[in-house]
Amino acid sequence: MWYRSRKISLVLFALLMLIPFGAVTLAQDVVTIEWWTVNSEEYSEEVQRALVEQFNAEHPNIQVNITVLPESGFTERMTATLGAGSGAPDVAFFWDNNWFPQALDLTSYIEADPDLDPSMYFEGFWNTRAVWQDKVVGLPLGVGANFVMYNKDVFDEMGVAYPSPDWTTEDYIATATALTDPDQRRWGGDRPRGPFRAIWRNYGAFPYSDDSTTIDGYLNSDAAVASYTWLWDLVASGATPTPADIEILGTEGTGPIDLFLAGRLAMATLNQGHMLTAIESGVNFGIVPEPQVVGNERYVNAFSLTASIWAGTAHPAEAYEWLSYWVGPEGQRFLMDNGHLFPSLPDVLADHANADKDYVQAFFAVLELRQVAEWVNAHPCNGTVLRAAVDAWDLVNLGEIGRDDIKATLDSLVDPAQQALDECVARLGA
Amino acid sequence: MSLNSGAAHPNDSFADIDRQLRRSNLTTALRRLTGNGFLYFIMVVLALIFMIPLLWMFTTSLKTRQEIFVWPPTWLPDVPQWGNYADAFAKYPLARFMFNSAVLVMINALGEVISVPLIAYAFARLRFPGKRILFIMMLSTMMIPGQIKLIPLFSMFSRLGLVGTYWPLVLPSFFGNPFFIFLMVQYMRTIPRDLDEAARIDGAGTWTILYRIILPLSLPAVTVMLVFTFLWTWNDFISPLIYLSDFNSYPISVGLAFFQGRYSVEWNMFMAATLISIIPVLVLYFFAQRHLIGGISTLGLKG
Repeated sequence: MWYRSRKISLVLFALLMLIPFGAVTLAQDVVTIEWWTVNSEEYSEEVQRALVEQFNAEHPNIQVNITVLPESGFTERMTATLGAGSGAPDVAFFWDNNWFPQALDLTSYIEADPDLDPSMYFEGFWNTRAVWQDKVVGLPLGVGANFVMYNKDVFDEMGVAYPSPDWTTEDYIATATALTDPDQRRWGGDRPRGPFRAIWRNYGAFPYSDDSTTIDGYLNSDAAVASYTWLWDLVASGATPTPADIEILGTEGTGPIDLFLAGRLAMATLNQGHMLTAIESGVNFGIVPEPQVVGNERYVNAFSLTASIWAGTAHPAEAYEWLSYWVGPEGQRFLMDNGHLFPSLPDVLADHANADKDYVQAFFAVLELRQVAEWVNAHPCNGTVLRAAVDAWDLVNLGEIGRDDIKATLDSLVDPAQQALDECVARLGA
Repeated sequence: MSLNSGAAHPNDSFADIDRQLRRSNLTTALRRLTGNGFLYFIMVVLALIFMIPLLWMFTTSLKTRQEIFVWPPTWLPDVPQWGNYADAFAKYPLARFMFNSAVLVMINALGEVISVPLIAYAFARLRFPGKRILFIMMLSTMMIPGQIKLIPLFSMFSRLGLVGTYWPLVLPSFFGNPFFIFLMVQYMRTIPRDLDEAARIDGAGTWTILYRIILPLSLPAVTVMLVFTFLWTWNDFISPLIYLSDFNSYPISVGLAFFQGRYSVEWNMFMAATLISIIPVLVLYFFAQRHLIGGISTLGLKG
């Protein structure tokens, strides 16, 4: 009897001793996910912290640790950590395509997730920002697009009719010219600073054949010549600031928004982030898509940010849990309602608080257009050839070639571009 | 006789000589005054030119966003927006960021003051095998661009588990800085060895010579080192960006970058915050300028 009770006591003692270890084990079960993000006009640091708090409260087994970085330094930090192969975050924006090889393939996680269906997202953004080389490298957060913002006060002052959504590239030059006032150093509109923007595609210009083999007849096609000629006419009109003006007066990589806000640019090709700034600044503006070329398909420069899981993460399942929450319907709705995000999920975007406003409707309409990025992402060698197209674009922009020299200039670029394409295709494939 | 020469003729009366001397002194004084006035004028003009960016920064900090890029440009805002300063501080914890910068500056300065004279003294005064090669090796590290060292250093600190702390930002200063060591070595070499020898005859050891003879005489070089450490640490953006993770631990250099959004820059608030952030630098320069200019001229530094 004494022996038995002693045995029971020992067992009880042993169990008591295990309690703290059990507690330790439970504590260790809480996984910490490192998340790097940026402070943006669309989602402030404060709003993102609130989202994390909500997630952490709902998921006691996962704690997301947020690191908010300045927009201007995010790329440097990601490049350094991914290059070092250690210290990278579990979840972060992978907005540089060069980082995609280090992103976890989410295909199996999405297949096993009953709450996440790729069809929930805008198809164009899924194709361009989530899928890379037949892998799902991330989920697209938010949507953005370029469109032409026009200052209604300037139009009224100059007695010029507001542009309509179906306006043409020729209308653009005529309108910009009518709005230009050299005395006030005011320009009617800005000009595309590089080729392969929506207008270039609207002309049907294409740098090489779809099978990535031929340059001749594409880079120097009639369509390409027409797009360059349009730029030449725009430059010659004097209705736009020069590249030097924009460089000096514009902000670093943030577009001519400052000139637009100051009323010195009556029309400017901007995006939804600029739109938010203009609303905040009280500018009376309207939005139209970039001008079309009658008879051709119309394109848009649209974009989204890829949010990914680092392939080196020690907790892929928990990281996916957070990623699908952040970029899924719940997170994007939270960032839309509490911040200024335009979600990449049409069903969520439809509930936007300002969905009935003209400018938001115009923005939604732009998102329906075909994306220039669809071609860019489908062709790994696009950069090689676009360099040649940029050279010619710059010559026109700087006024260094005559209108009649455009065809000859493009012809002269064909051979070196073909050589570069051949070398690239041999390395990376078509 | 030339009035300007100031020399008197033997036949001149005493009164004439006195008059001529007075005139001559007056002319010299006038000429000096004119010359100095011209110099001062040039200096004031140059100072104003150099101050234009600061003035522009100040007026921009008081404008609305729409006013900043208007044509013709305006120096003064229609209604000064003093609230931009309050808004900048309300938007981000700028005071906290500046405090963090001050902490980093102080620790780095301490590290440099401890390590640099020690190393420099060894190179300047002591004899040991391989000294020349070690000195060349140390100097050669100055030729490696920072960007190349960034990833290996990050990798090293990451493996040491120090990422996310201030250690990677302050630890290196306790191991010397090749540029400052080079400066200090050059300076110490100009101090006569006789002083060391006299001290040694009086019974001083190496440490005593360093800390009681050499270091006090190297004050101009130490001042230059401290001021440069202050400026470099205060303005360093990339290192804190790479190593720190906690928002509240960022220094002001990183904090200011938050005013640049993804699509635009809040120039007015950015200028307000920047203006506040450079005040410590200006104060330091104000108090240290005499030593700094003396030190720089002694060390032959320019630019």
